[in-house]
This record gives sequence, structure tokens and C-alpha cells, in this order.
Amino acid sequence: MKNPYKIQTSKILKIEKEGSESKLFTLKAPKDFKFKGGQFVEVSLPGFGEAPFSICSDPSQKNNFEICARKTGVLTSELHKMKKGESIGIRGPYGAPFPIKLVEKRDLLLVAGGLGIEPLRPIILEILNNRKKYQKVQLLYGACEESDLLFSGEYEKWRSGLEFFLTLDKPKDISGNLPKKWKCQVGVVTSLFDRAKIYRNAVAFLCGPPVMYKFVIKKLKELDFKDEDIYLSLERRMHCGVGVCNHCAVGSFSVCKDGPVFSWERIKDVRGAI
Amino acid sequence: MTSAELRKFINFLIEKGYIVWAPVKKNNIVDYEEVNKADNFQMIQEAPFYSFKRLLIPREETLFEYKDNELKEVNNFKDQVIFGINPVDLKALVLLNYIFEKDPWYQGRMKKTLIIGQSLIPKEPEHNIFHYKYKEDILEHLQFDIFIEAQKGVFNTKYFFYTGSEKGQRILDEYGYNEYENIQFAGAIKEEGQDKNMIKYRDSLKNNYKKELWEKDLGAKCIECGKCTTVCPTCFCFDIKDQPGLKSGGKRRRARSSCFYSDFSEISGNHKFLNSTAEKIYFWYYHKFVAIPDQLQIPGCVGCGRCAKVCPVGINIFKVLTELDNNEKSIQNSNLQNFKD
Repeated sequence: MKNPYKIQTSKILKIEKEGSESKLFTLKAPKDFKFKGGQFVEVSLPGFGEAPFSICSDPSQKNNFEICARKTGVLTSELHKMKKGESIGIRGPYGAPFPIKLVEKRDLLLVAGGLGIEPLRPIILEILNNRKKYQKVQLLYGACEESDLLFSGEYEKWRSGLEFFLTLDKPKDISGNLPKKWKCQVGVVTSLFDRAKIYRNAVAFLCGPPVMYKFVIKKLKELDFKDEDIYLSLERRMHCGVGVCNHCAVGSFSVCKDGPVFSWERIKDVRGAI
Repeated sequence: MTSAELRKFINFLIEKGYIVWAPVKKNNIVDYEEVNKADNFQMIQEAPFYSFKRLLIPREETLFEYKDNELKEVNNFKDQVIFGINPVDLKALVLLNYIFEKDPWYQGRMKKTLIIGQSLIPKEPEHNIFHYKYKEDILEHLQFDIFIEAQKGVFNTKYFFYTGSEKGQRILDEYGYNEYENIQFAGAIKEEGQDKNMIKYRDSLKNNYKKELWEKDLGAKCIECGKCTTVCPTCFCFDIKDQPGLKSGGKRRRARSSCFYSDFSEISGNHKFLNSTAEKIYFWYYHKFVAIPDQLQIPGCVGCGRCAKVCPVGINIFKVLTELDNNEKSIQNSNLQNFKD
């Protein structure tokens, strides 16, 4: 029978540094590999196990895809040692993506906190590539420090197609001043709600840590966003990736299978969801 | 069959090369053991201390052998008979069959396993907390290859045979016994609809967060030892981990896990989603009494009472469920409630 735990090997085509602790890996896509923004792959390094990674590249690229890995544990440390031309194992793509179809006719608000920018990048790139297909788009992105900023080489491109607001929690500059080149402000991501004029009746896609969700959803509710118009990606220990091992259970859902992207409507009553 | 004939049938299975597992009483503990000769075999009504679970989902197993980036599936199972699973535990088998329907190792093992159920339900109410009764009409909602109904007479017990699969029929035909009736599995849910207890406990857990019960009572009592998850016939959560070999390559292994262990919900950066004891024990109950019912429309607890028997601090599932059913001291809560703080 089909073995859902079987891996496919994928060659590393390119490795770039992203921020101070992350690396962006361009990987050769296996045959018929298709994904949508918000989905993830399980990366498998025999000897070091498996871990889930958001796919962060442009979904229209068929031959390769990208994952961004911050060095935080055993597997990511090993991944960081790898070189161009070597291969890794992957399973997937898995999970429910952000419902991008929904925003062809509606304005879109993207809110990212920290590494949460990763699964939103496919959405950003998809919109920039097909700008006419979509309506007004705003992106609010908050990171802790300058060194945490991901995909900073693309910000000018992002600004050309969408309203991009950036904030840093602790902008560490020797002089204590804000680095001008980022065109950012100081504060957490919710502080951007006061600066950006948020489009009412937009759909919101969020990705960030649980604490960000608490405050952002509060803001969105003040702006009369409906629960079904708020989508958020949950982070959990997605161990098997196929909805069996139960490590990522949230209420009656498996985050790896029913999520990671959920509408707030669906999970707002689940204890401990955020 | 008579008892003597039943023993002969078991000996036939042993001679056929099956490893025959059956509940055996030793030092006052009933547990599944390999039976090498059935000459003194006796059907036991008591629930085995451990369920049949480990015979289908071992505590640890090798999924793949790896060398460099190549994974080779390991899938070589021996023919086995799990004999004498009572109807309470057979409900757990139905559940595991759903959970692992796409799992090549579970399915590989099941292909080689002959499940023989029996009708003797434990007499002690603590091993059958929902007072599940054996009646012939429950059989179409259970899964087995062969099911043996024991009918106790004045002088001796007679055994009547049912089959639930072609595999079961083939074995009995081969043995030359054709006094059996075949039962077609009609799904786990009975005609009269979903289990009433299940609906009751699900609604209570979903809509009534009992802060006192979880945070004060159970949260303080439970010591997170995870014994309940080991003996529970429906606890199936697992980890997958790699075990490097001493020279080269290694094994990708699967091991049963427990939601009470500290790394269960841990993600990168050592962040955990289940931190307090209260959160963990609530997660355990929620999985059995809400999540599984929501996903499969069947209860995630069969009521075998093993968790209560093994709990070192005396947490009794039956008492917890009674408390859930008591609606007097309830505190409404939800995520939205947190926003109001």
C-alpha cells in the first residue's frame, strides 16, 4: 500500500543567508510538486529526524521551491551545515493553505509577526505577479530586531505593488536611532494599525506567534472584521504531517491536516488555540 | 464446540505456525501471553491488565532502515492470533482500525493477524464502566475474524462461532468446522444513532469548562506519569525518531508517546503548548471524549477502566465522568472570554 511516510529526495539548488540566523534554501521540486501559500513540507534528514517547514516561495515556480530555516535545533543546525548540490528528504506539501481565491474580489490585509512572514510570502509573490487579479492589499510586518528581518532584499519590490508597513520592536542601532533604510517605525505589529488606514471589509491573513494573534484579533474585531474573514496559521508540533500522531491536536482538529490555516470562526471557541 | 474442542482448535492454530496470544492468569495478573500448548487453556472473563494494543502497535517499532538519504521500508510481520478479546476491548480495535487505516505497518500487521473475540465481558463494573452488555446484535458493530460466544450451561460451557471476515471463514473451513454464522460489519455506529453517553460527555466538555475540576482537583492530583496512556487500549499517539546505527545508516523508529510527557507539544525554540498538569489531563480527556467523537462519531473511550486501576494517585475516570455530568458548578469559558480581561 501507499506509504505516507516515504520521502522524496530533493536537491539543494541554492543557499542564501536570510537575516542573521536563517538560511533560504532553494530546492528542486519533485515531479508534480504543487503547493499553495500556507502549506508546509516535512523535511527529513535521516539520522536527525523530520520537521515541518513553511514553503515560502512563489507558487507559480514549478521547478523549484524554497524553505527558510532558522537555526534553532538539531535538525536545523544540520540543515545549516549542508551545501549546494547535496540532497534532503521531503514529504508533502501538506495542510490547508490560505484561501487566496477569496481575495480576488476582496481587499486583503496581511499581518506577519517574526518568522510568520514565511508562509505569507507565497501570497505576496502571487499577488505581485498577477497584480491586476487582486484588489487593494496591505501588509503589516513586525519583527523584533533588524537582524530578524527576512526577505529584506525584496521590500522595494513589495512596496511597488502593495502598501507595506514595517515595524521593529527593538531597533538596535549603535546610535539608538531607527535605521532609515527600512522605512520602519518602532513598536509591535499592532502599533501599525494606528498608522495604516486599514481597509474595512477586507479579508485578513495572519501569521505570527500566539501572543500576536490575541492582540491583532482584538484590533480586527474593533474594526468590525467578521470572524469568518480572519484567517490565521497555527504553529504546533506537526510531527507525522498526516493527521495521525496527535501532537498537533487543537480541539478536535489536527493542525497538520485541518490547518495550519484556520478561519477564526472555526477555532475561536477552542481552548488554548491561541 | 465444547471446551475440549476449543482447546483442540487453538492447538490447530499453534501447529499451523501462528503465534497465539491469549489472556493468561499468572501471579494473580491476567495478561496476553504466547500460548504454546492449549491443553490446559481456559477462557478468562477478567480483563487483561494490558490490552491487546501492544500486539498491533508495539511500544517501539522500526519503520525504515536508512542509509544516507535512502529509506527502506521495514515491513516483515509474523502470523499471529490475538485470542480472546472481549467486546469492550473490541470497540478499541474498531477505533484503532479507523485511526491507522492508511498506516502501512499497522495494516501489514493486521493482514497477518487473526483476531478472535469472545463474549465474556468482565464482571467487575470497574472494567466495564459503561455497563456494556453482550448481545448478539452488537457483533455487527465490532470487527473480528472469528468471534466465540460462550454459553454457560449447568454442567459445562458451550462455544458458538461467528465469523466477521473471509480470513476467519477460511481458517474454520480449513479446520473442518462449519457450524458458524457470518456477520457483516455494519459500521461502528448503531442503528439507533450515536452513543448517548458520548454525546452527553462531549457536550459537557465542549460547553462547560469546569475550572475547579481541571485546575484545582485533577491538575493538582495528577503526577503526569503517563501510566494511563500506556494501559489505555485507545491511546495511540506516537513519536517518530531516528536511531543512528553504530557504523553507518540507522533506523527510523516509531515509539508510542504520551500527552503527559513534557516534550509532547514542544516546538522549535523549546516552546510548549501544553504546560500545566491541568492542560495535559484536559487534553487527554478532550481527545477521547470530544475530538475522536467529532472526527469519527464514536467514543474515544471504551470504558475498560484500566486507567483508574493503574493510576498511582487514584484518579478514577468514572468519577471524573460523573463530575462532568454534574452541571451545578460550571464555569462558562472560551477564548473570547480571555479578551475581556
